[in-house]
Amino acid sequence: MPETADHRHHLLALEGLAGDELISLLDHAKRFHTAAGSVPPTSLLAGRAVANLFFEDSTRTRCSFTIAAKRLGALTIDLTGAGSSLSKGESFLDTARTIEAMGIDVMIIRSRACGTPAMIASAVRCAVINAGDGRHEHPTQGLLDLYTLRERWGDFVGRTIAIVGDIANSRVARSNIHGLTTLGTEVLLVGPPALVPRSLERIALGPGRVSVSHDLDAVLPRVDAIMMLRVQLERHVGGAIADDYRALYGLTAQRAERLRPDVPVLHPGPMNRGVEIDSEVADDPQRSVVLRQVANGVVLRMAVLARSVGAS
Amino acid sequence: MSQLLIHGGRVIDPASGFDQTADVLISDDVVIEIDRVSPGRDVQRIDAEGCIVAPGLIDVHVHLREPHPDHEETIQTGSAAAINGGFTTVCCMPNTKPPIDCTPLVELLRSKGERAKGARLFVAGCATKDRRGEQLAAIAGMAKAGAVAFTDDGHCVADAGLMDKVLRTVHAAGRCFMQHCQDPTLTRHADMNAGPLATRLGLTSWPGVAEEIIIERDIRLNRSIGCRYHAQHLSSGDSVEIIRRARAEAQPVTAEVTPHHLLLTEDLCDGYNAMAKVNPPLRTTSDIDQLKAGIADGTITILATDHAPHPLHRKQVDFADAAFGIVGLDCAIPLYIKALIGGPDGRGVIDWPAMLAMMTINPARLLGLDRMGLGALAVGGPADVTVIDPQLPWTIDPDEFASRGKNCPFTGWNVQGRAVATIVAGELRLMRARARAET
Repeated sequence: MPETADHRHHLLALEGLAGDELISLLDHAKRFHTAAGSVPPTSLLAGRAVANLFFEDSTRTRCSFTIAAKRLGALTIDLTGAGSSLSKGESFLDTARTIEAMGIDVMIIRSRACGTPAMIASAVRCAVINAGDGRHEHPTQGLLDLYTLRERWGDFVGRTIAIVGDIANSRVARSNIHGLTTLGTEVLLVGPPALVPRSLERIALGPGRVSVSHDLDAVLPRVDAIMMLRVQLERHVGGAIADDYRALYGLTAQRAERLRPDVPVLHPGPMNRGVEIDSEVADDPQRSVVLRQVANGVVLRMAVLARSVGAS
Repeated sequence: MSQLLIHGGRVIDPASGFDQTADVLISDDVVIEIDRVSPGRDVQRIDAEGCIVAPGLIDVHVHLREPHPDHEETIQTGSAAAINGGFTTVCCMPNTKPPIDCTPLVELLRSKGERAKGARLFVAGCATKDRRGEQLAAIAGMAKAGAVAFTDDGHCVADAGLMDKVLRTVHAAGRCFMQHCQDPTLTRHADMNAGPLATRLGLTSWPGVAEEIIIERDIRLNRSIGCRYHAQHLSSGDSVEIIRRARAEAQPVTAEVTPHHLLLTEDLCDGYNAMAKVNPPLRTTSDIDQLKAGIADGTITILATDHAPHPLHRKQVDFADAAFGIVGLDCAIPLYIKALIGGPDGRGVIDWPAMLAMMTINPARLLGLDRMGLGALAVGGPADVTVIDPQLPWTIDPDEFASRGKNCPFTGWNVQGRAVATIVAGELRLMRARARAET
């Protein structure tokens, strides 16, 4: 992680993060869980101020960061698009500098465009955490997915995961690709050719292999986990989603039977039930770890926040 | 009668093939002698020893942003940037606000150009009304008012049916058509070159084929029409072969390339560097190699800057929201030298006479300015001259540009070669000290 003044650490992407840094974040997050699984409050961030700058709408990620910050004893403020200066044409940089001038220690940024958190990080002195930037990365989602997989797998090396859906437009997929390949997991990217271009096979630098497949049925028997992505109709230009999407790439109850019994099903939410995933699968307590992902998101974000101000 | 003597330089006139050490004597606005000259007493003298003395350089593709509400450049500052970079003639693009799509605007710009006392200004008019690609612009009228070329630059004339009408109309007006080769349906919201880097950054891909299919289509459309057709700012290596084939069939097809497409690759976009965002996008070393091969074999015959100034606040935003464009006039010469002539160790793509042809007589012929004697250095011709010190070392610093545009990805580059004198119609509009560190 790039280090700023006073040992502050940005988290802008999982790309480029070393394996031991990833593992240390996962270990740290684990310490916030009690044996009973609850998350007691701490005062690690007492007196600190955390700002949520959400230039794009989000509910679950913002709530998760807010709860994580409050569990750590920080003060939080929220800026979202509607009703703030963000809707008045102020530039993101001006907004960020203004908020920082009020005495902010950590800025959590969600944006519609790729690269906004990095741009702001280069212009402010506080720590910046990327809460999702366009199609680029969503590093805390990637980390919470790693955390959830680790609970089931124990280790990453030699494992294989299928990530299914609109990979080209997915920041969740990019963060997972970087995090997982760094830790030695093989990543199969599955979906229609218009949404899963071959160039994805060359974006990761880690030891884990990345390969593209357009045949979900063929990969089901050989994976150790499967992650279904939301079909993001709002990001779609050029009509790349055809009517046969569900028939070819939906995780139906019937398809789920072809997975080994111990294979977890992940989904970053919100789910389109009946499109990329059937309710029978999404609600299957043996397979679905969707709510576990959400719960893990809080402790994972606590670890990231603590790390961002050097309080870990 | 005022006289100006350019003494002792290597005089290169690609139009005539002249290339030897000589003096150039200018009287008023005319070249009166190119030889060993024994000057009279009251002659202003420019020492050009070690320098190249060339016909005034011509840039067929600049954006001077006038009229435009943002004032990111004006004819005054843009033509001063041209002079600073050694250009005596520029052709400005019509993607202004409002666009140059009618006779009065062409006349207005021409008169502003004359008053600016910078480089000579020629105007390209819109091919379609309001640059919307829906209806022909007043091409014949604008041609009569002095427009030298037609283009919707910044937009492609994408509709094939309308393109057919544009080519016929521009041909009848005796002008050239310049295409911004970009299929809009392949480049919706596109940010940068298609490939693994765009995929990794999550930016929207801009494939080279979007350029190639427009050139291919236009050449086929133009076969029975025969309009002078010019492909602007080639970026894709595979475009070169299409142009090469058309020229082999003796079709009236030309193409230009910019300094940035010869020197920079898409890698510069990494980290969301908006200074590297340009239309068409920076591509790969393989594209650069093909563009250079096209220059070496005479397929690409024109060098142009696509000088595109923007205020910095339009670059200091997210990559996807940042403006497309790179400024070029103030620093083009050393960049062309670096890309094409090569360093002291040689291995250049072309030599000086060939490179200067691409910046003088070839652009003059494209725009029909050779009929006025522009683009050549000849006795009796107009006294537009650029004196270049090919070794002068300097560091590119946009704060020293005459252009208002500071959006330059070459900032901080240590380069060699610079215009030391720019003469327009016999007037010395730039005289730069040839300060050089003794070695």
